[in-house]
Amino acid sequence: MSVYLKKDLPFEVYEIDILNSDDAQLSRISEDMGLALNTDEMKRIRDYFRAKGRNPTDVELQSLAQAWSEHCCYKSSKYFLKKYLFGINAPQNILVIEEDAGVVEFDENHAYVVALESHNHPSAIEPYGGSATGIGGILRDVVCMGAQPIALVDPLFFGPLDIPFESLPKGVKHPLYLMNGVVAGIRDYGNRVGIPTVAGMIFFDEGYTGNCLVNVGCVGIAKKENIIRSRAGNAGDLFVLTGGRTGRDGIHGVTFASTELDETSEESSRGAVQLGNPIIKEPLIHACLEANEKKLLTGMKDLGGGGLSCVVGEMALSAGYGAEVYLDRVPLKEENLKPWEIWVSESQERMMLTVRPENLEEVLYIFDKWDVPANVIGRVTEDRILKVYYRDHLVYEMDIEFVTKGPEYCRPFKVEKREGEIHGRVPEPVDYLSVMRSIISHPNIASKEFAIRQYDHEVRGNTIIKPLQGIPGNESHGDSAVIKPLADSWKGLAITADVNPYYTKIDPYWGTTAAFDEMCRNLVSVNSIPHSFADCLNFGNPEKPLRLGDFQESVRALGWMARTLGIPCVSGNVSFYNETPYSYVPPTPTLMGIGIVEDVRKAVTMDIKKRGSVLILIGETKEEFGGSVYSKIRGIEMGRVPRSDPVRLKNSMEGLLSLFREFSILSCHDPSEGGIFACLAEMCIGGGIGCDVEVPDEMRKDVFLFSESTTRWIVEVREEDSRDILEFLNKRNVPTRIIGRTGGRELRFNTGTENLSISVKELDELWRSGIVSLMGG
Amino acid sequence: MELNEIRVAVLRIEGTNCEDETVHAFKNLGVEAEAVHLKQFYSDTIREEEKRNIRDYTAIVFPGGFSAGDYIRAGAIFSARIKSVLRKSLEEFIENGYPVLGICNGFQVLVELGALPAFDKTISDRPEMALGINNSGRFECRPTFLRVESRNTAFTGSIDRDIVMFPSAHAEGRVIFPDGREEEWLERLKENGQIVFRYVDPGGRYSGYPWNPNGSIYNIAGICNPDGNVLGLMPHPERSFHPYTHCSWTRGRKETGDGELFFRSILEYMMKL
Repeated sequence: MSVYLKKDLPFEVYEIDILNSDDAQLSRISEDMGLALNTDEMKRIRDYFRAKGRNPTDVELQSLAQAWSEHCCYKSSKYFLKKYLFGINAPQNILVIEEDAGVVEFDENHAYVVALESHNHPSAIEPYGGSATGIGGILRDVVCMGAQPIALVDPLFFGPLDIPFESLPKGVKHPLYLMNGVVAGIRDYGNRVGIPTVAGMIFFDEGYTGNCLVNVGCVGIAKKENIIRSRAGNAGDLFVLTGGRTGRDGIHGVTFASTELDETSEESSRGAVQLGNPIIKEPLIHACLEANEKKLLTGMKDLGGGGLSCVVGEMALSAGYGAEVYLDRVPLKEENLKPWEIWVSESQERMMLTVRPENLEEVLYIFDKWDVPANVIGRVTEDRILKVYYRDHLVYEMDIEFVTKGPEYCRPFKVEKREGEIHGRVPEPVDYLSVMRSIISHPNIASKEFAIRQYDHEVRGNTIIKPLQGIPGNESHGDSAVIKPLADSWKGLAITADVNPYYTKIDPYWGTTAAFDEMCRNLVSVNSIPHSFADCLNFGNPEKPLRLGDFQESVRALGWMARTLGIPCVSGNVSFYNETPYSYVPPTPTLMGIGIVEDVRKAVTMDIKKRGSVLILIGETKEEFGGSVYSKIRGIEMGRVPRSDPVRLKNSMEGLLSLFREFSILSCHDPSEGGIFACLAEMCIGGGIGCDVEVPDEMRKDVFLFSESTTRWIVEVREEDSRDILEFLNKRNVPTRIIGRTGGRELRFNTGTENLSISVKELDELWRSGIVSLMGG
Repeated sequence: MELNEIRVAVLRIEGTNCEDETVHAFKNLGVEAEAVHLKQFYSDTIREEEKRNIRDYTAIVFPGGFSAGDYIRAGAIFSARIKSVLRKSLEEFIENGYPVLGICNGFQVLVELGALPAFDKTISDRPEMALGINNSGRFECRPTFLRVESRNTAFTGSIDRDIVMFPSAHAEGRVIFPDGREEEWLERLKENGQIVFRYVDPGGRYSGYPWNPNGSIYNIAGICNPDGNVLGLMPHPERSFHPYTHCSWTRGRKETGDGELFFRSILEYMMKL
């Protein structure tokens, strides 16, 4: 006899006979219904319903699958996050970790809001729609806190663009197709909603061929008094569903994101990818913010993973209430959606509000004015029970606590040390110039202008430091973008996104410290004080101990850095299962750093400003070639990855920030991928000016030029200030040395024996064509 | 007109997205400006206190963005709505000499509407030109430099610089004239003094891509009507209002943003009305 029993109702709802099912049947039910729940979880559900003395409906079971998915309840990651990363107290924290976005103090009356998320699985199947809805989702996360979005960030990771089609595993799309689709999706959605895309990264590695990663971040600004919680207000309040209609797109998005992809994913999971509509989103943002500013709302939360089933439960649970929902009042895109489909659909552009009955009319007026649908679909109740009705029939009744507080695991993990020995014996390259040419045109260093200029990075008119900096027409990559969020204040926010998966692949712990270091360096480079960060942790299958070991190491490193530096993690997201049967992604802890710029008029850019200035290297250069671009060019694994020491970093950051206050610094940039060579090359390109650099005698040339040691900056200063600056920094125990002077048309390195020089023009051409030449025109 | 009599309406519908910064550009100069939803002019569902009449204003701006998504043709839907609810009063508004400005998507709206180039009538029955897809085939967000070709307009009178930097950000900005009549159209525009801004490189020379970001004929970035009180331009003056939003300001900064001079010109024109 079938375990699926159609209930005697005038519409399609099934009772699932789990009470009489054995383990094998339970696991088959989970598979048949696409629940992605394991047998233990199914048994827990069976126990719950056994106590209730009845079987669950399909609506109930589907709802549990959403709520208990990795994506929604962080069941494999929470243990580690709590242990290492959460709970960093900082005076600027207002509302961190607990909501969809972190809320941090900006000034006395304002807060900024930060969110960062992945949209990996959908983008691997449908890059355009996947990335577009990623932008849509992250905007809602910021808006639902009551904040106006002011900037978008998009770190992207793909397989090598020149990978031959023949070598792609079955079902995997070519990285060039994926990249073009993802960039177009971000462009068409971000540009249309009118929020500038100001920072990001594009990183290429074989590890992303089977699973590209699409991370999206958003920053918003709000008056502190307008910050609203993602929880129901009071019993008796009405649930008002606003925005787009509900359809069959995006069904099982979260359960899809909580499993590995395989060659059938394209066929089986297309329906899990949502469809975005920025022209519903744009007025939805206005309407939500207007209603919130008028104090007409008691709670607001966006509909993301799990759709209605998650938003109602989470809003009610965090307020200590229950809820009643009438599914037939949800406006639909098409007829004949089954009740469970309405309940779990992840259709985009929707927001849930709770409203006191006396304010309903006013709220509906505002949404009508903006032509955004808004409908009462339920109410908040005193008890902690969630009841769902469809055409007056009860189809769902469960304790909110049971549904929404999903399982939590400490799965077995294994830490693997993969870092090799320090090389020492690798001979210096015979042809340094050829190595330099390869480095500056390496896809992970080369210009990303083709993507950056497709994103509107200036809409809203507040972008002070743009993603591309330098002489118009010659611009180079900046370290951070700077936004001026308020019309009547010079205070600004610096924004950057960083991680170097070449390092984390070899050593997730030290690689993560290096990512944190780079984030801080980029913020300090533009003269901002690192203030908070969000993380998007992209890893493989957590049920495999080695992957979870990598995750553990990365989170442990983040906690160490963040705690020691006093920079709180305010929001984030974990994306597991970035894995296929034949590959998994390198550990990728993407960080989005936010810095406070005391006065945007004092921001610093990275392009060389004039001839005859002095270049000072700040920080120590060690032999750290592990995961370096140099090691890739030479085709040798070269041991030790660059690592950071938060105490040293803190001291150097403070030194540099006080230097900015005391002296006029013409330009500042940090050596990262490609080392001092690539750093100087980028500074020369942006300024259209060359420089003459002395390579120290005591160091191997390749170490000086290409090592990627952390906690370093190069600053351009006036000749007359240089002595004082050295003294100023030395007094603060920040290592410095004068390495050269600006001028001429070449980047020239003088060693004891030879002069290595390349014209800035050639560097510029190599740098600009590095990726474009792989894109087939 | 006194400064305190100036009222600027920045029109919005779903998908317009530059209204806030455009309103601020005017407000920074001490005049009243507000973003007004087109519905506020005609819809019965709007409450009394939010209803507006075009006669309440002394200047109208069509801001940048993607009105109604621009899925059909940039500006097509917004202009169709204007035609159906506001055409007559907008015509009067223009004929009375009040300034009407279209920035980026707003330029596209004015062209679709027939308010530019408006050779023979205030609002022509059919569009007389078009803004086509950029030659690069892509959205282009980049600094653009413009030579001010005419100061005899409601928008440029106080720009005391030959070259201004207003950033561009659009996918459809290439000025196209009817096939075979390009020369004739150019001549008419020149004769009437309707060419207001042309793309140049940072050195002030008329150049090709990327300085002409879309491939516009004759490097045209902005044109006005024969009377000079309706202007459309692709680049965004509101984005270089402050010296600190200029590109590369860290390499040398102007005292006043180029965009401020543009908006100041509009106010000075109105004060003479």
